[in-house]
Amino acid sequence: MNSLQSQGFAPIVSHLKKDGSEWTVKEKLLLGLSPKEYWAVQLRNPFNWVLWVIYAVGLPILVGRFIYGLGWVTHSSYDYPWGLFLGWGLFTMVPLSASGFMMGTTVELFGRKDFKPLERLGLLNGLLGYLFAVMFLQVDLGQPWRLIYPMFVSLGPAAVLFLVAWHVATYLSCQVAELVPAFAEWMNFPKAKQFIKKIVLGLTVAGIILSTLHQGALGALFTYAPGKVHPLWYSSSFQWFQFFVSAVFAGLSMLIVVSTLSKWFMRWRCDETYLNNLSKLTLGLAKGASLALITYLVIRIIGIAHDNDWQYLATGWGAWFMFEMVVGVILPLIFYTMAVRNSNASLARFSAFLAVFGLALNRLNTALITFNWQLYQEIPHWREVVIVVTVYATYIVVYRAILARMPILYTWKENK
Amino acid sequence: MKKLHRRSFLKGGLAGGAAIAAVGTSKHAEAAGSFGGYPDSMGVLVDLTKCVGCRTCEAACNKEQGLPAPDKSFDDPSVFEEKREGGLPRRTTEKAYTVVQKYDVPGREHPLFRKVQCNHCNEPACLTSCFVNAYKKTPEGAVMYDHTVCVGCRTCMVACPFYIPAYSYSSAINPVVKKCIMCYDTRLKFGKPPACVEACPQEVMTFGKRKDLLKMAHQRISDKPGAYVDHVYGETEVGGTAWMYLSDVPFDKIGYDTHLGDQPIISYVKEFLTIVPMVLTIWPALFTGFHLLSNRKEALKNEDTKS
Amino acid sequence: MGGRKKTLMGMAALMLLTAPTGAQSWAADGPGTVELGSLANHYSAVTFDHAMHVGVATSCADCHHHTTGLAPTDPNCVRCHKAGAQAQSVSCKDCHSDKRFSPEDLEKTGGNPQLYHKGKLGLKGAYHQKCLGCHTTMGGPTGCQDCHARNDQGDAFFHSGKYAPAPKASGGHGGGH
Repeated sequence: MNSLQSQGFAPIVSHLKKDGSEWTVKEKLLLGLSPKEYWAVQLRNPFNWVLWVIYAVGLPILVGRFIYGLGWVTHSSYDYPWGLFLGWGLFTMVPLSASGFMMGTTVELFGRKDFKPLERLGLLNGLLGYLFAVMFLQVDLGQPWRLIYPMFVSLGPAAVLFLVAWHVATYLSCQVAELVPAFAEWMNFPKAKQFIKKIVLGLTVAGIILSTLHQGALGALFTYAPGKVHPLWYSSSFQWFQFFVSAVFAGLSMLIVVSTLSKWFMRWRCDETYLNNLSKLTLGLAKGASLALITYLVIRIIGIAHDNDWQYLATGWGAWFMFEMVVGVILPLIFYTMAVRNSNASLARFSAFLAVFGLALNRLNTALITFNWQLYQEIPHWREVVIVVTVYATYIVVYRAILARMPILYTWKENK
Repeated sequence: MKKLHRRSFLKGGLAGGAAIAAVGTSKHAEAAGSFGGYPDSMGVLVDLTKCVGCRTCEAACNKEQGLPAPDKSFDDPSVFEEKREGGLPRRTTEKAYTVVQKYDVPGREHPLFRKVQCNHCNEPACLTSCFVNAYKKTPEGAVMYDHTVCVGCRTCMVACPFYIPAYSYSSAINPVVKKCIMCYDTRLKFGKPPACVEACPQEVMTFGKRKDLLKMAHQRISDKPGAYVDHVYGETEVGGTAWMYLSDVPFDKIGYDTHLGDQPIISYVKEFLTIVPMVLTIWPALFTGFHLLSNRKEALKNEDTKS
Repeated sequence: MGGRKKTLMGMAALMLLTAPTGAQSWAADGPGTVELGSLANHYSAVTFDHAMHVGVATSCADCHHHTTGLAPTDPNCVRCHKAGAQAQSVSCKDCHSDKRFSPEDLEKTGGNPQLYHKGKLGLKGAYHQKCLGCHTTMGGPTGCQDCHARNDQGDAFFHSGKYAPAPKASGGHGGGH
């Protein structure tokens, strides 16, 4: 599409065509191209070839999971009840999607209107991350059709997961509402947009509450397994806070990552305001992320001191812990700080990739790698890996499809 | 039932946590001590020194619970040499609610056999971690599981400090948690001992009120000095369990986790649970306040332009 | 296991001191054989050769505690039953309940604060702990079917014999995975 733009293609930015007539929904869906042109573009894109290969292998296996059961796609481990579906799909995707509540807070609550160009991307990143976390959950649950049981059929309100379930569900609705304006502009439903505008403050405050609690709750889930998670990754007092603070830098870093990717691969869709402000805003996000990183680093150290786990640092697990801390926390912290000082957006972007890696490593360490550290190491079944890749690929496809159409990276021009 | 209030309190707190849903209001908003178990609940005292590894208990469990046929006969001692992942001995599975493990202890004349099944905790981790309330601790002492509401999140398996609940991964339509229920439906609720206890030829297991068993256990230890390690495993572990063990070999040498501590698992989660109502009540005011502060200049400007 | 050896040694010492005359009357009083059929649902009855065991044991008290009137061999029992209080019956089943842990049994034992022998074994437990305990130290047979042959119902119960599961190629699956 970037090359198409250089040949004179102009993407849709308002309801009206150049000749003054309105775009139909079908035309909007096809990005203003003729069906033939549209599919030609899709076929030309090498990334789509990769996707087709993933789907060719992954879809049958995904379907097989629901026909033959979890035993067919996982090792059916009783010792490791949670595998990659939750380790990656829930525990990693949710913190990486914390951008939604943070951009909402920054722009709507603290009145930092200068972050407006990135607000919708942050919200969308949040919404899709949560949506696909639920998808991953649906793949993992033994009886996914009972997903609503904790809400309406049999309530276990004293459980941490009850809180996660309720909060993710309500927060998803919150995020859908927050993104209604983008959809309303694109579909030309001005009333919906005005309604959301009235309640946006309430939605944002709700978003902070729900996010604080469920991001923390994901950490608190592991406090049910005090002997199973390695002491260096476990803290009964601070686990929830560690998960919450790391979600802050992870959400901001993920936002830098997706904004960078969109700048590279979807430049045709970005408008001038977005592109011109991006470097400055990236540094703003970097500043926030570095503050969260230093808080996180300190609270991890306090966690170790509080439980007096120092002796574990000298073991092999200690070395692995140091790797996570240096590569996933300290280096991004240093690079972010340098980037902010020298106004070097490229360095901030590099640092963001590192921080996202660090977050993923931390969650996988907690949920899978150091889990049952006194027993043995579970290596996920290959079908489990294939399903994770397939669902994540779908996440990317949906993400890309929305970015290409709705006013996320560009500002909609209203009819005058 | 006074002692139950603390859990009701937690429920109340978290029900508030789901404020938007406005579900279940708490009647008892008082914090009380830890739940020490129902006063007359039953238990089983397992004397490991008596077990000869005949696996009759496994056969009895299989029959009583209507479990699928085993992979090997119940009189086949070769299962003791089987290793699961990580070189670990057999554990409970979806087809076996109880298994006997064999430990060759250096210096001990004969191998030690250890029966593994659900310990039926006083304050079970599986119960407190379940978000659909599928678990129930009956006054008789059994920890029951309701398969009709289970969603299959398997948090109970993560939470169980004894690695007991298994899951029928093989089923696509109706996978459920599989674990010992102390023969509640068929025996315990009629005052009868679990099938394994009754079947054991050696009377390795003594069935009775938990409080009586505890006295008996300590008496046995003091009656035969040197015959037992001076510890009743399960008396205090994770808040106490209905199944308790006597051994002549230190428990950590025969696969027992001796670092579980005396607190029920839920106590490790409490620090988070206490912040839930705080965040719910403080955040709205706090952040609305921030909003007003940060937009004060703008608001003032608007006032000026109006006047 | 060290405890058991000590017990045996202590028992031998006690025997030398206390009961030289009683020992001569052992064989005459006891039955020749005893039918033990409490596990009839899974096993054929055991024909217990009492006379033979009398010859092997050092004292009646080895098995009958204080009930025959001899001093018990367990030092713990001696604390109360010093001289050996003769009981009305010496038969195992008259003291050791074959309904152990039944609600009635629990009421009788658990509900009685005066009762000292709260942990008294049931009949099956008493037999097996006594027999196997001694057989292990004395080198007697210890396999289940060394003493009682399993019947068809027992084979079904143990999934053994003709009820044995077909051997699986993937045998040895412990269940961790």
